[in-house]
Formats: sequence, structure tokens, C-alpha cells
Amino acid sequence: MDFHAPPHLEAIQAEAEAFAAEHVTADIVEEELRTGDGVSRPLLRAMGAKGWVAPLWPPEEGGAGLDPFETSAMLNAIRAAGGPTVGPGTTMLTANAIRALGSPELRARILPGIAAGETLICLGYTEPEGGSDVFACKTRSVRDGDEWVINGQKMFTTFAHRADYCFLLTRSDPASRGPRGLTMFLVPMGTSGIEIQAVRTMGYERTNIVFYNDVRVSDDLLVGEPEQGLHVMRAALEAEQNVAPSSRTSQLYEAAVVWARETPAPDGDTTMLDNPSVRRRLARMAIDAEVADLLGTRVGFLEQLGAKPGPHAALFGPETYVHWSKEIMDMVGPAAMADWTDPDAVVGGTFEYHFRCSVASTIYGGSSEVLRSLIAEQLLGLPRSRPKT
Amino acid sequence: MNLALTEEQQFVRQTFSALFGKEADPARVRAAEPLGHDPDLWAHLIATGALGVGIPEDIGGGGGGLLELALIAEEAGRRVAPIPFVEPAAAARLLAAYGARSLLDDALGGTRIVSLATRPGPLERQLLTDGAVADVVVALQGHRVVAVHRPPEVRPTSNMGALPLARWSDVGEVEVLAEGDQARQSFSAALNEVRILRAAALVGLASEAIEIGAAYARQREAFGVRIGTYQAVAHPLADALVAKDGAQLLTWKACWALDEGLPAAPALASMAFVFAAETAYAATQHSLHIHGGYGFTVECDIQLYYRRAKAWVTTFADPERELDVMADEMYAPARPGRQGAVSAANPGGG
Repeated sequence: MDFHAPPHLEAIQAEAEAFAAEHVTADIVEEELRTGDGVSRPLLRAMGAKGWVAPLWPPEEGGAGLDPFETSAMLNAIRAAGGPTVGPGTTMLTANAIRALGSPELRARILPGIAAGETLICLGYTEPEGGSDVFACKTRSVRDGDEWVINGQKMFTTFAHRADYCFLLTRSDPASRGPRGLTMFLVPMGTSGIEIQAVRTMGYERTNIVFYNDVRVSDDLLVGEPEQGLHVMRAALEAEQNVAPSSRTSQLYEAAVVWARETPAPDGDTTMLDNPSVRRRLARMAIDAEVADLLGTRVGFLEQLGAKPGPHAALFGPETYVHWSKEIMDMVGPAAMADWTDPDAVVGGTFEYHFRCSVASTIYGGSSEVLRSLIAEQLLGLPRSRPKT
Repeated sequence: MNLALTEEQQFVRQTFSALFGKEADPARVRAAEPLGHDPDLWAHLIATGALGVGIPEDIGGGGGGLLELALIAEEAGRRVAPIPFVEPAAAARLLAAYGARSLLDDALGGTRIVSLATRPGPLERQLLTDGAVADVVVALQGHRVVAVHRPPEVRPTSNMGALPLARWSDVGEVEVLAEGDQARQSFSAALNEVRILRAAALVGLASEAIEIGAAYARQREAFGVRIGTYQAVAHPLADALVAKDGAQLLTWKACWALDEGLPAAPALASMAFVFAAETAYAATQHSLHIHGGYGFTVECDIQLYYRRAKAWVTTFADPERELDVMADEMYAPARPGRQGAVSAANPGGG
């Protein structure tokens, strides 16, 4: 048993911090806070030049050959500096599916641009009536000669307005239901018939509704075989777990300790770190942060062994993140309510920001209820709670 | 970075899983109540050398570390085995550190049961965790660590956790093992080992409680379907499983940190104790609850787990006050304020 960080981790972390100091400029940070796009093209290109858009891929494919721990440390350093990583992170889900299942032509055409930080791909899974049930897909694709015609509507397509392509889930067999009869496309976002509407979120993010009206896509932009969409999506979803997730509970904890250490208590002689109720809250938060990090570390460790880690970290991390983002508001008080635009905001407005953002983390990427059902069925052998389709 | 058990550690785990599976079935656990001690099982355990697993080979031990002991504690917890293990294992390591050979040889050989007095304050005022069965308890008394021999009159305290609790109101013969700073430091290190081994035992207990609940939810029907179909039944079991895995990782990390002598070890020991305590209670409470009225009957095994999940914590420390121990480790002790926020938030003082 050895819980020491892997040997090269500190080196890659220092390299990523130096990179962030140079490339995550104040303008980029502020642009992200204002727009919530999750994308900065200059930062993306700089990451691409280092092989850090596809960090796990070998250098000959444009990657950096990092392991999951190094990848996680690198991304954490860029995020900690305020650099947006949603764009490349999301793009890599599609990239891994194309790498595993795309035709040789499609791979040669798309993958080098992704690794170089030139190409962004958004995800078109969720529909207005679908939500967590992605296989309730109603968007239709119909073959017409060597083209396909697509009609439908997608919800929560983050950075659709900044992306080059959308990885689009469609139903090509009109008689099918559920996970069968689905086909995946790589749709160029400039294609006529695509209309994008902005949706603002409480967590400073912009996402989109995307309408597809008689959008024509050529056959060579199919990903995988027609009606094998389930298979293709699975490849993308498995790749999603390939990076050791870092818990935001521990980021929050560290910020809370900074606040307690630096904030004078009302008596003027001591700090809030001397207050008994603050100490107990912080100690309890430290436990959850440690557990969230350990479960995340185990994901990276098991992935390296080629084993399936299960959704433990994806459930515990966000659940504790939501809980503590709320507790911190009570502990810090009114000063925690000031947002990042207020020059006097506590720890740069971070508590206000986390309180707004955290509540979505138990929804996207598999809601807590979906994850608990997966654990109940796959690890505890309990009967399925959802009706079969 | 390596989270896997070595082959030897896996062997330890399998050996004790088999031993407790065979020698601590629910019938034996019930038969050992209310005192909570099965002399035959204890003899088996002594014969395996379990108490010495974490002691250097040159003084009669197995040459392992705290992690090996934690694996045994976890397997004992899984079967709620009716024997003292946590305190005697920590006491043996303390005796080894002091070079108290004759007492150590007796402890490892099973001639005498040597336990620890883990509560603060004078020994005479403590309800000793193993007091009903121990021949000797090692205690911190003022600036000395002493071995206290069992007095002639000991009245066991019948209790909800089927622990061999007793008071030693008349302290018998006393033998000084260590004095001064070394005494205090070594005894507090032993208490951290108790925290970690208690956590390990609670992880095993929680693990089996989840399995008992899941097994029932897989076959029991209500309103025409198996109750595991209902998310209100299934989802808290899933949460318990995640927490149990987290508690196990935390316990293993604490073992590793302590064996490596890292400064984070004491805080990790308290973390493991608090998190395992909460995890085990939540797991047993939900598992009992989904059995309906049956879970409340003495015939149902889950009640054995429910009572011990609390008793194994209460006998050592209040998890809420353990948070203060943790905070003192992590942030340095709090400075008392003059007035205002500090005293207002803690009217009880302290």
C-alpha cells in the first residue's frame, strides 16, 4: 500500500502552473467569468502545442503520453488559475469514440486538429423531453442517397456556438425505441438548418438549445455504423472515466481554511480558525474532502490496471461538494455572498461561485439517482427500478 | 502510488475471513452474549498469532505493520466476532515498543489477556472496554504508563453492545512501563492505533450489514415486486456502499501514514474513526429498517450489527469531540478569545 503521489506528479504540476501563469491571462479569466462559454481559443491552441488537449494520447498522435494522475494534476493547475477546460474536456469524449470506432478517413481528418487545439466538438445527446434518459432520443436521421437529413432539437449543448462540430445522437430507425436504432454523426456546426439559442445558467455558464431543421450531412461523417449508436456512445462514456476526477470538495475545503486563517474573530485577538464551531465544521469538511479525493485516486489507479472503477467518486464527490458549498455560506456569513465583480469579495468571490455552480454537479454527467441505481444493480445485485424499453 | 494489497496481505485477509466465517457464525455470536467473549474463538485467534502480526519478528511477532492488523480487525468486524481484538492488538504493540518481554510473551501466548484503558481520567472511574475478561490493562496515569493487574473483585457490566465491559474500582497491583514525555507520546500513538483498528472493524461490520440488507431486498416482495426495486430502499444501500469503500480507503491510508511515520497520521486516524463510525451506523440503520418489523426481532441477524455499530464507537469516543482532536492536529490548538464569537458559539466553554 502506497498513497504517495506518483513520482512525476510534482514536475508536471510545476510545469502546468508555469504554463497557466503564462497562458491563462487575466483577460481569459475575466472573459470566461463574463461569457461562461467554457472555451478560450488561444488557451486551447497553447494546450494543443504541449499535447495537453489529448494528454493521455502518445506524442506521435499529438498527445503528451501522460498517465491519469498527471493528466488530472495538469488540468487542476489550469482550472485553479481560472482557465476554462470544458471545451477540450468535452471534445475529448468524442475524440476517444472516433479514435476507437471511426473510419480511418474520419480519424485522419478529425483527430490531428483536435490534439492540436484547433477543433472543438460539442455533445448533442440530451433532448428537451429526455433529460437523464438519453435513449429517449427523438431527433430523426433519414438516408437520402449518400447524404442524411436530420430534424430535431437538442438541449444543454454547451459551447455549441463556439464549436466546429456536434457529436449528434439521432434515431435512424423510426420503428425503434430505447437504445436500439440510434446513429451517431459528426455534424459541422456551420451547416445550414442549424439554429442556436443561448440558455443562461445560475452557475455563470452559458449553454444552448440547438434546432436541426433539414440539416444535410454526408455519409462520411457517420461515426461507427448506422444504428450502432449505443455502441459508439458507450465508447465515449467509458473514455469519460479515463481521467482521475479531482474533487471540488477539497478545493472548497482549502479555500475555507484560507478564509478561517485570515479572518479576524470579532474579539480582534484571534481568528475564525480559533472558533470552536468553525473548527468542527472544517474538520468534518476535511474528512469528506479526503474521502472524495481517495475515491477519485482509486478511479485513476484502477483505470491504470484496466479495471472498471464504478461510479463511487462521481457520486460522493458532487454530493459532498453541494453540501459543503451550502454549509460554507452559513459559516462565513454575508461576506460570502459577494460575487467576483466585488473587489472586496471574500477569497475572490469563490464561495458565491461554488454555491451557484455546485448544485448542477449532481445532475450533469449522470445524475446522482442514475448513479445510485447503477451501483444498486451492478454492485449489490438489486432488481432494476426503471421499466425495460 | 499503489492501492493494492500485497500477496501476503491478501493471504492474511483470506486466512482470517475463513477463521471468523467458521468460528464466529451468528449462533456463536449470540451464544457469547451478554459478556461478548467466546474463549474457544479466542484460543483459535491466539493460535494463529493474530495479536503479534504487527510486531517485529525478533521479539516473537509476525513482522507486519498496522495494515495487517487492520485487515484482521475488518474480518472480525464482518462477523461481529465475540472476542476482544482492537485494544489487545494495540496493547501488544505498545508492550513491544517498551520491550516489556514477559508481559508481551504472555499476551501473545494467550496466558494473559492484556488490554488498554482508552478513556481519559483515572482508571478507577473508567468503564473498561475489555474489563470483564482482561488480566492486565495498560493505562496512562499522570505522566506514567502502567500495567494494572486485575483486582480480585470485578463485576461485568451487562450492555447493549455485548462488550466485556467492567469497572476496576479497586485497582490491583501496578507495574510502571514508561515515564515522562515518552510515556505520553507512546500512549497517544497507541490510542491512534485503536482509532484506526476500530475504524477497520467498523468497515467490516458495515460491509456485512450492507450485504444482509441487499440480500433481503433481492428476495423480499411487497406490493407485488421485490423491495429492492424501490429506490427508497435501494439508494441508501448504494450510498452506504460508497461510504464503506471510502471508509476502507481512509483506514488503509491512516495505516500507511502511521507505519511510514508521517505527520498526517494522527489526523488521518481520527478521520478514519469518525467516518467509519458514521458509515457503520447509517448502513446498519437502513439495513435494519428495510427488514421491517423482522429487523427489530432478536432472531434477525441485523440487530446484532446495529447494536455493535454504535457500541464499538461509544466505548471509545464521541465522534463529535474527535473533530476537536482532529482540528488540534491540523490547525494547532485554538487560542482562547476574550469574548464575542468564540465564547458565544460555545457556551459550555472549552
